[in-house]
This record gives sequence, structure tokens and C-alpha cells, in this order.
Amino acid sequence: MTRRPFTRLLATACLAAPLPLLAAAPAALDSDNETLARGAYLATASDCTACHTAPGGQPMAGGLEIASPLGAIIATNITPSKSHGIGDYSEADFVRALREGIRADGANLYPAMPYTAYGHLSDADIHALYVYFMEGVAPVDTPTAETALPFPMNLRVAMKGWNLLFHDAEPLEDDPERSAEWNRGRYLVEGPGHCSSCHTPRGFFMQERDDQALTGAQVGPWYAPDITPDVAAGIGSWRHDELVTYLRTGKLDQAQAAGSMAEAIEHSFQHLTEDDLGAIATYLEALPTAESSSQARSRFDHGEPGDELASFRGDGYAAGLSGDSRGAQLYSANCSSCHQADGSGTDDGYYPRLYQNGVLGDVNATNLIATILYGVDREVGDEHVFMPPFGEQPNAFNALNNDDVAVLANYLLARFGETDDDGHPILQVSADEVQEIREGGPRSPLILLARIGLGVGVVVLALLGLWLIRRRKARRR
Amino acid sequence: MTQPTSADVVIVGTGVVGVVVAEQLLDAGHSVLMLEAGPRVSRAEIVENYRNLPLGLKGSASSSYPPKPWAPHPMPGDDYLQLEGPDAYAQTYIRYAGGSTWHWAGTSWRLTPEDMRLNSLYGVGRDWVFDYDTLDPYYNMAEQKLGICGPSDPALQWPPRPRSAPYPMPPLPFSPGEEKFTRVMKEALGYTNLPVSQARNSGMPFDDRPACCGNNNCVPVCPIGAKYDAATALNRLEAKGAVILSNAVAHRIETGDGNRIEAVHYLDPERQEHRVTGKHFVIACNAIETPKLLLMSADSRNPGGIANSSDQVGRNMMDHPQLGLTLTLDEPYWLGQGPVVNSGIMETSQGDFRADHAGAYFRMNNFARNRYETFNALATGKVGRALDEEIRRRVACTVSIVAAHEILPDANNRLTLSAKKDWLGLPKPHVYYDVGDYTRRSAETYSMPIARRIAEAMGAVEVKEPSAFAQSKHLMGSTIMGDDPATSVVDSDCRAFDHPNLFLPGGGAMPSTACGNSTITMVALAFKAAEALTDQARGA
Repeated sequence: MTRRPFTRLLATACLAAPLPLLAAAPAALDSDNETLARGAYLATASDCTACHTAPGGQPMAGGLEIASPLGAIIATNITPSKSHGIGDYSEADFVRALREGIRADGANLYPAMPYTAYGHLSDADIHALYVYFMEGVAPVDTPTAETALPFPMNLRVAMKGWNLLFHDAEPLEDDPERSAEWNRGRYLVEGPGHCSSCHTPRGFFMQERDDQALTGAQVGPWYAPDITPDVAAGIGSWRHDELVTYLRTGKLDQAQAAGSMAEAIEHSFQHLTEDDLGAIATYLEALPTAESSSQARSRFDHGEPGDELASFRGDGYAAGLSGDSRGAQLYSANCSSCHQADGSGTDDGYYPRLYQNGVLGDVNATNLIATILYGVDREVGDEHVFMPPFGEQPNAFNALNNDDVAVLANYLLARFGETDDDGHPILQVSADEVQEIREGGPRSPLILLARIGLGVGVVVLALLGLWLIRRRKARRR
Repeated sequence: MTQPTSADVVIVGTGVVGVVVAEQLLDAGHSVLMLEAGPRVSRAEIVENYRNLPLGLKGSASSSYPPKPWAPHPMPGDDYLQLEGPDAYAQTYIRYAGGSTWHWAGTSWRLTPEDMRLNSLYGVGRDWVFDYDTLDPYYNMAEQKLGICGPSDPALQWPPRPRSAPYPMPPLPFSPGEEKFTRVMKEALGYTNLPVSQARNSGMPFDDRPACCGNNNCVPVCPIGAKYDAATALNRLEAKGAVILSNAVAHRIETGDGNRIEAVHYLDPERQEHRVTGKHFVIACNAIETPKLLLMSADSRNPGGIANSSDQVGRNMMDHPQLGLTLTLDEPYWLGQGPVVNSGIMETSQGDFRADHAGAYFRMNNFARNRYETFNALATGKVGRALDEEIRRRVACTVSIVAAHEILPDANNRLTLSAKKDWLGLPKPHVYYDVGDYTRRSAETYSMPIARRIAEAMGAVEVKEPSAFAQSKHLMGSTIMGDDPATSVVDSDCRAFDHPNLFLPGGGAMPSTACGNSTITMVALAFKAAEALTDQARGA
């Protein structure tokens, strides 16, 4: 079974046949073609397929394992199959699932399903989605495996408490003080796009920290960066048209989409209208920025082309790996054939430049490590960008060990990344950090703590019980 | 952990043929154990070996693959191959996990129907025991497996007939020099310079490998794995359950009752002997190391060597004898953009003249010329800026034109075991070789006259002609296929006539060479053999 990181919950799409471009006007509440098309477009904007279609599988038939910090959550079959899908869902059931995270049988969904965002969808849009899923998606009568999170997370009922604390999404009402474009952008970002699922840091209970909305968060082995207009940490240095281009292609000179953002662009953003992408950009550009950030200078403004070939060339591979030039030697052997010896990439950006590149200029090395270990796979329009992985995959170009990756990453950071006034890199990647990313990213301590908490609870209950029994006995005396 | 010593199928050799057979068997549910004489080395290391070489050694494909003492392969200036005869069978191949596709150019011309019927049509050589249409589906499988890019235009097909399945990828674009060459050939000589079908990812990733980015480094190694080489499959095979033992030098094949193969013995780098057993065996070590192993394994049942009751093992050694011309032109061609071989003129390989002499395939190599012309520029005595300009001029204005010929099978062109021994004490291969009058006549009356006309059409102001045939490193023959056990070694499925559970797929089986590079036909034969072997293993 394929695993995808939790980040995947991002907005991407159903990839139905080419869709008519739709405006944001309310749809008629009947299942005419316009409503169906609108539902299909919304399903694309909501990237339902990112989780609910397994690679090579039937559309929306589920089965994909979504790696979460708490364990694998298996996406369900949401085709209109009456036996294994949502074919028996009434529209009210469907609304409840999207708005409240509750299945038709009354059980709670895990918030891997971003109902906290979909709760912002308008009545008309949810109706259109319902029409699309019932009439526009082919039923697939095959079951998916049950999600089996470790105890106590297997107790879905616990989500009721979580929802009480953290879920209050309401359909968004337009802010009359703002432009129509801003309002449309907010709707797409906060609603179907569910950008916050990845880009907003999560708190102790895996809830999104609304006070730090979209300021960047760890998502599996990747880091979904700050997308607020902060000039240093966010996208404040990008022009409006660059932001739109990035959403449509995943590719700028200074930034490239990988991991689940590549999938979001592949499945969702590239299929949205230019107006909608512009609206998303407009909304992001007006977001509040984080109050504090360790990013002093723009992520996209570090380093210059250069190489260290003269320090080892001609000595032989083993010698090159044994001395101070190890990072440069690893770069030459594994990276330079595409990114060029001096890191300048290619003019068309198919092979990105490595200097003045957000991955290298970041104060967080997660994406640098993840790119090396997992590569890049992004198919947009007729361009398929593919960087092979360097982890343990069968098609790994070269299976680099943790130490190799750390040394290579440190070479890249020193040459192309953020440095202090003395030219020293401010980041040092360790082999342990590489191992953590190799294992899929940091794990949540929540399970352990919950188990301890439950254990304590059981002890407390037992003591309480004893105390009660003794009291009764005492009374009998 | 102890190494497994048995499997359903034991395969000796991890080159493209062994790897393709292995994957077919694994996919059919059979266990596979592979023996590789040489080391298993990362692409990164080979890439850096190449980059660290002095310029003078970069022209030799094997220099980036230093042999291990226990797995020698021919190196420039060494005597691993003991050569005798009018022409030197001075081949290049490597004994490394992944085999010699590490340094192939990826050129994948199919045979034509006529290439497989030389005897019937022209009264020379041998016919294949099946026709082109029998081979066609296996060619399609080979093209899918290796990721061959090629043209869809019906006018640009080789062989010139409708394809039964499209190439998995479109052709790579021509460099400016190739476009010019194509135009000049059509206008001046009426020849069509075809986009070569090649094992290279063209504008897209394929097989979980990246797209070609034009390093022009295909020989000796694709630095990014955009060119298929068998090393790219090794991890995948292991993920499917294969056991691959490297540094395991097979040196004896053991027979048992019914002359069935029982085991293969191998030596490790400590010269310790090991024995692996299986139900079926595949020897896929190329057309030099395979017959060497068969001959070394002579026993009381097979005094002439394994599979050799016909006395044909080691005979009919073949290649594509080539003649290369270096032209100096009065205007630049600027070669070196894209892969090292990207086009060719194939029509000159066909015709009724084949009753009298060999055909030839002409290509303009697309190797960047720096590595050759720098030395010529230095020889002029120029220094400083004048030297730089001389290098630039020569790199831009020189081209290499190659005529690759077919050769007929000849029992006298023969590999035997030398009395000289290698590091492990195993005999070195000895090869007597004569390209023969059929091919020589082509050079005299056909191919070189055409080559001169090509040079003239291109505006050559200076033509350097070769003094002797060079080898193409396309090892063929030695375990030739036929329908008569008295005159051939393997049947139409590359199964040894003498041993029902022994398969010898690859170039060794080819009864004719034609002029185009042999790998794609070797792989088609591997698929055919794998199909027969899978059926046989299922029934066993």
C-alpha cells in the first residue's frame, strides 16, 4: 500500500475531464450540468483525489495510507458505491461529514479529513459537491482497509471532545470591507484549498494554531513553509504574478514545489482558473505575518554560483571522500550532472539553481534533507519534473547514508545557504536529523502522553474505587 | 547471515540479458540467484572515476571501470585477451554488476526481416531459425523494458515497415550538427539520416529514472541514469526477491544425470570455492566469458566442454568491424549536444549486393570533440590564446564518420582457452579472428567509397582514413543458434541442445550480425528465452 504524508490533505483535485471555467456565482440547487461541473471544479479545488485516490487506483475509491504523526490513516472509498462508498449518504449526511466530521453511521472522522476547513464551504458549494460525488463519480464496489491507529487514538469518540475544543468552522461570509477578489481568495484558502492543514503549525492536540495561521509547519518528512507575506520567512518578496505562476506550475527560479505541494499543484492548482489563482495570491499577500521568526533574511536571497572542484579533482573518488572535500565530492558525484558544478541549474529552470533558492536559504533544513532523500516528482501541463531519490528506494540514484546526506547538506548550506557575517552556515545538519526525516518526520508524543494520561486515569479511578469501598466498609462498621 | 546457495533459477551474469531474464522469472514467481564476477559499484563512484581521469584516458570506456584482480576484463594495453589472426578481436567489456551496458551508447537498431535470411536471400551466412515476425513481439517487450525512444513518423522507421507497437518515448531532438548532416545527406546523396532508436529517456522520466539532460557522457557512463543500463535494475530485482552475489567468479558448471546442469561453482576474492544449485541455469556473461566458462567446465560427460557436442562453442566470433574517418570541415558542425550517438544512415546496410559483400551503416558520432582535438591542437605547438582558439576551431570543425559493417559467421574465428592464466589461475581467453573477405570487399568496393562521398558532400578539406578495422565491442557468436544440434549450440529459445535446463541467451546466439548495434536483439532473445524458461520452470 502506498503511503503519503499527512500534508497530502492539501487541496488538489479530482481530475475529471477538462472542466468549464466556473465563476463563484451561487449554483442552482438542482443537478443540472452546471451544478455538476461546479461540483467537479470544487472537488478539484478541494483536492479530494490527493487522499481518496490511490496511485493507479480508481478515482475516489480510497485505500491510500496517509502517514500522520499518530500512525497511518487510510483514506476511504468516497465513490457513490452503495456497498463500500457513500452511495447511501443523504445530502444531510454529506453535509455533516464535510462540516462536522461525522460519518453517516455517527462515528467521528479523524481530522486528517480537513472538515475543519470544509466547514467554511457555502451551502451551495456543498450541494454542488454532493451532486458531483453522486452523479459525476463512478461507483467502485471495493472496500478499503480500516484505519487502525494505536490506542488510545483508535477511540474515535475522543474526536468529539477534540471537535468541541478545536472545531468551530462556519460557512464564510464575505467581508464587505474587502474586495471581491480578497473574499474569493479567503474562501478558497480557508475552505476548499485547506491550505492551513499543512501550512499552519499544530498544537499539542494536533489542532491548528490559529494564532500562527499559515506561518509554516512540519508535515511528515517535509516542511510546508511560511506562506504569509513576511519578507524574510514568507513569500513577501514574491511578485503577485510570481505567486500565481508558482501555484500554476510549482516552479520559479527561487522556489520549486516538491512533496505534497507538488501533488497539490499537479492535482489541484494547475486546474484552477487564473482568476481563482489570482484571488488566492491576493489573500495570501494580505495575511498577517508571524510575530517573530528566526529567518533574518529572505529565504530566497542567499549564496552565489561556485564550486570546489579544484580541491579534489584528480585525486580519485575514495580520496575525495576521505578529506575536507567530502561534501564537494558528494555534490560532484550525485548532483552536479543536472544542477551544474557551480549550482546554477539550467536557464529554463527545469533543473533549479541552488543559490538564491528557498530550500537552501531556509533556517530549517527539513526540505533540503527531504529533497535529497525523496527526490521530486511533479507533473504539470506537459512538463514532468523528476529528480530521483537518494534514499533506500529501488530507483535511488545512489543510496546515500545519513552521514553522506548530512555532509552533502552541510556543503550545500555553506555554499548556497544562509551564512553568518563570517560566512559560516547558520545551520548544521546532523546524521540524526537525516534519520528522523528518513523515518518520515518527527513523531507526535501524543500517543505516549495519552497512554500515560490514560494510565494515570486508570490508577486514579482504581484508587477512587478503593477509597469508596473502604468508605462503605467504614460506614458499615 | 549465510548466503542462499540454491534457487529455482541460477543466473550467471548481471548484465542486461541476465537482468531481463531474472525479472521475468521473478515476476512469474520463481526464485532467482545471480552470480556476478565483478564488484557492485555506485554510479556516483563511476562518474567520479571518469571525471578524475586524465584527458588521455577518457577515450577508453573501460578506464572508468578498473577491474578487480579476480574479475579481469580487457584494459588498454593489457593482454587479458590473447589475440591472434589477421584482425584483432580487441573488444571492450566490463565485469561489473550491471555489465557492459554501463558504458554502451544505448543505440538500439532492430534487425530487418532480410537480416535474418542472409542464406535464403543472398546465399551467404546463416538464416535464423525463425522470422522477423516471431521476434517482433520480443523487440516490443525489449523496447518497453529498456525505455527506447524513437520516431513515430512512418517514413523514419527502422526496419522500414509499420511498427506493431509504438516506442514508449518520442525521439530525442537532433543537435545543430546532426540537423545539418541530415540535410546535406538528403540533398547531396539522397540518404535519410534516421533518428536512432535509443535506450534513453527522451524529454520525460521513464522507469523511475530521470530524463536525459544531455551530459554527452553516455560512454563511459550516464551520470544520471537517464540512459538504461542494467545496473539501474539491480535494486529493483532485489526488491522482488532476487539474491545477487557480486565478486563471485563462476568457473565451473557441474552436470549430473541426463546431462542436466546440477550446480555452478564460483570462487570468491579469497579464492575459496562455493557451489550453488538450482533447477534451471542461465549463463549470460557475453560472447567471450560465456564460451570461456563452458569450455572451462569440460567433464567426463562433456569432454569438449559444456553444451559443446557440436564443437561450435567459441566458434563464429563476430562483431561489427568498423572504419572511422575523421573529417576536417571548412565550417563548424558543433557536435556534442545531446547523446553521443543520435542518428544514422541504415539504408546502406540492405541490398542485393549482400550476395557479394557486406552492407554498412553510417553514422556521424555526436561525441563532443574536445577530448580528441585537444591533443591535436597541442601538437601544433600553439600556446595561450592561440591554443584555445585552435581547440575551439578543431572541436567545432571536425567530425567522426563511422562505417559499421556486418560480418559472416566463420567457424575459424574461434575462442579457445589460453595456456596463460589470470589472477585466480583461470585460463585467459584466446581469440583467432579474421574479418573475412566478405567484409573486406565491402570496405574496398562499397563502404569506403560511400564514406568518401559523404566526406565530400560535407565539405571536408581534410580526410583522415583508418588503416585497419576497429572493433565495435558488439560481442556476437560463440554459442550460435540453429535448428541442427550438429552445427549449432542453442535452439530457437537459446536452450542448449546438450542440456535441457541450460539457457545461453544473448549475443552469442545470434546467427547474423547485420550492421546495427546488437543489444536490442540480445534483449529480445532474452525475453524469448525467459518465456521458454518460465514455461519450463512452471512445468518442472
